[in-house]
Amino acid sequence: MLDNIKDAVRKFLSGSSSYEQAVDEFIKDLQKALISSDVNVKLVFSLSNKIKERLKKEKPPSSLERREWFIKIVYDELSSLFGGDKQPDVVPDKIPYVIMLVGVQGSGKTTTAGKLAYFYKKKGFKVALVGADVYRPAALDQLIQLGDLIKVPVYGEQGNYDAVGIAKRGVEKFLSEKYEIIIVDTAGRHGYGEETKLLEEMKNIYDALKPDEVTLVIDASIGQKAFDLASRFNQASKVGSIIITKMDGTAKGGGALSAVAATGAIIKFIGTGEKIEELEVFNPRRFVARILGM
Amino acid sequence: EIKENDISDIIEELRMELLESDVSLEVTDKILEDLKTNLIGNKVSRSEDLEQLIKKSLKKSLNEILQYNKIDSNLVDNIKKSPKPFIIVFFGVNGVGKTTTIAKFVYLLKKNGLNVIIAAADTFRAAAQEQLAVHAKKLEVPLVKGKYGGDPASVAYDAIQSAKSRGIDVVLIDTAGRMNTDKDLTEELKRIIRIAKPNFRILVLDSLAGNDALEQARYFEDAVGYDAVILTKVDADAKGGIVLSLAYELKKPVIYLGIGQDYENLISFDPSWFLDRLFS
Ligand SMILES: Nc1nc2c(ncn2[C@@H]2O[C@H](COP(=O)(O)OP(=O)(O)OP(=O)(O)O)[C@@H](O)[C@H]2O)c(=O)[nH]1
Ligand SMILES: Nc1nc2c(ncn2[C@@H]2O[C@H](COP(=O)(O)OP(=O)(O)OP(=O)(O)O)[C@@H](O)[C@H]2O)c(=O)[nH]1
Ligand SMILES: [K+]
Ligand SMILES: [Mg+2]
Ligand SMILES: [Mg+2]
Repeated sequence: MLDNIKDAVRKFLSGSSSYEQAVDEFIKDLQKALISSDVNVKLVFSLSNKIKERLKKEKPPSSLERREWFIKIVYDELSSLFGGDKQPDVVPDKIPYVIMLVGVQGSGKTTTAGKLAYFYKKKGFKVALVGADVYRPAALDQLIQLGDLIKVPVYGEQGNYDAVGIAKRGVEKFLSEKYEIIIVDTAGRHGYGEETKLLEEMKNIYDALKPDEVTLVIDASIGQKAFDLASRFNQASKVGSIIITKMDGTAKGGGALSAVAATGAIIKFIGTGEKIEELEVFNPRRFVARILGM
Repeated sequence: EIKENDISDIIEELRMELLESDVSLEVTDKILEDLKTNLIGNKVSRSEDLEQLIKKSLKKSLNEILQYNKIDSNLVDNIKKSPKPFIIVFFGVNGVGKTTTIAKFVYLLKKNGLNVIIAAADTFRAAAQEQLAVHAKKLEVPLVKGKYGGDPASVAYDAIQSAKSRGIDVVLIDTAGRMNTDKDLTEELKRIIRIAKPNFRILVLDSLAGNDALEQARYFEDAVGYDAVILTKVDADAKGGIVLSLAYELKKPVIYLGIGQDYENLISFDPSWFLDRLFS
């Protein structure tokens, strides 16, 4: 289905119709590709309008270079959403550094907490994990098993249901022991309906920890709800970065693009498998190519 | 008489609504094409509001499509009537809610007077065994555990043997999450199914997922096949457009919806409930 961006470009270049018509055709195909990749529908229209304006205003170069020029404009506009084409800086700008992971149920927070700890440990940092999910059965066991695997200490309080207190005590303990990067895993939540109190809990953890960075962990397969969900999280505790998980599947990850638009946060990593080492620094160019199906 | 021009604005508005509900592009196109064919040329009495008519007509045709989502008979009744043990296997991609859904299912079956055993055949993910152990203890049902890194099919097998010797009615097999791109894990799932010979296969899908949900549904249908779908996390205000895509493209029934993390948060699927939500 998404190969049709390539087709669209080809159509556009070989078409006998007028330039204006060709642009309109292309924009329609572009919209389809983005919607199929789960980019928020409203965002698709605002993005494609911008691209359309540029295509109509700026003069295409000689027909030889047209293809490159054309794709470049689409790339430019999409990657300007992530603040440009450069890879993110993932090394903390201060020490100690506290990262709090948040996200919807099952998005991959706990697994990603382990992966991040391993990533920074390999870079030579003294890393620790705090388990503040008091709801999911065996959430703490899961984090402890991951911590054991990579030899990173885990703080948690089995049987205590005060997530705020646990998070606070864990971070304080590791700070006093001179740990450099402390990663806090929290419970899954979406915050709608019955779950408003869970969103409040998250805000309370945030207020208690004042983390250096809140990371939204988002499943590559998430659909149209991504925009609204990310906005809610961002309102409760300002999101600074995003990690997209499960990029080893067939999902395009357009929901993450919506989350970027909703929060203004940058994407730092992607998860590419269940194993602890399957975490990669985000590459904007490759991601845009995936969303466009190229 | 209705002409194409009269309805194009409303059709575009509906297109937005369907797309924003995660109904796939193809299915949205098909639904709206059908709607147009039904409407154009029809006479409409002046008193009748065109928009209302169109919405009513759409609801009616969607309701027809959604009949494919209905299952012929109630699963619990089916289990009660069938020879024992009745074996059900749950599968799907990572993190959709398989394990939690199994716990909810135990609760439902117990309420219906059936006794249950769980096979913890996820021997891969960290604390997958412990997670089910907590549920089994709370729900007071036996659990057959496996060793991490061990063979999941033999966990399923052991649970079935145990059910036979203890006269247990239902065996619920939890499997590890697996991506629809992973060939080895697909082979593993096939092996579990070959050995367990389940009476019923359930694909678990996340209602928050967008277009990939249909991709998953197609993949698992081709790879192993399933009898019904359970859609989770519907409480996350998700419209769950996958329900329509499933009906339209695969004619697969949706039997239950997960609407929260508690045991009682599993409800039977009802097309009209879904339609109201779609247009809310
Ligand atoms: N294939 C794949 N699976 C992943 C990836 N990241 C996480 N997972 C899997 O996704 C599932 C859910 O991961 P968890 O880490 O338990 O998710 P969570 O967000 O902590 O879940 P809750 O605490 O219940 O909200 C597990 O099966 C993980 O192994 C990834 O990048 N690729
Ligand atoms: N809000 C909500 N959360 C749910 C629902 N169903 C499951 N969850 C949550 O989703 C998360 C993942 O659920 P699991 O049952 O562990 O998912 P799984 O498919 O077994 O995951 P893996 O085995 O790692 O692939 C947990 O936090 C569950 O509590 C639901 O209907 N609503
Ligand atoms: K998910
Ligand atoms: Mg977790
Ligand atoms: Mg599970």
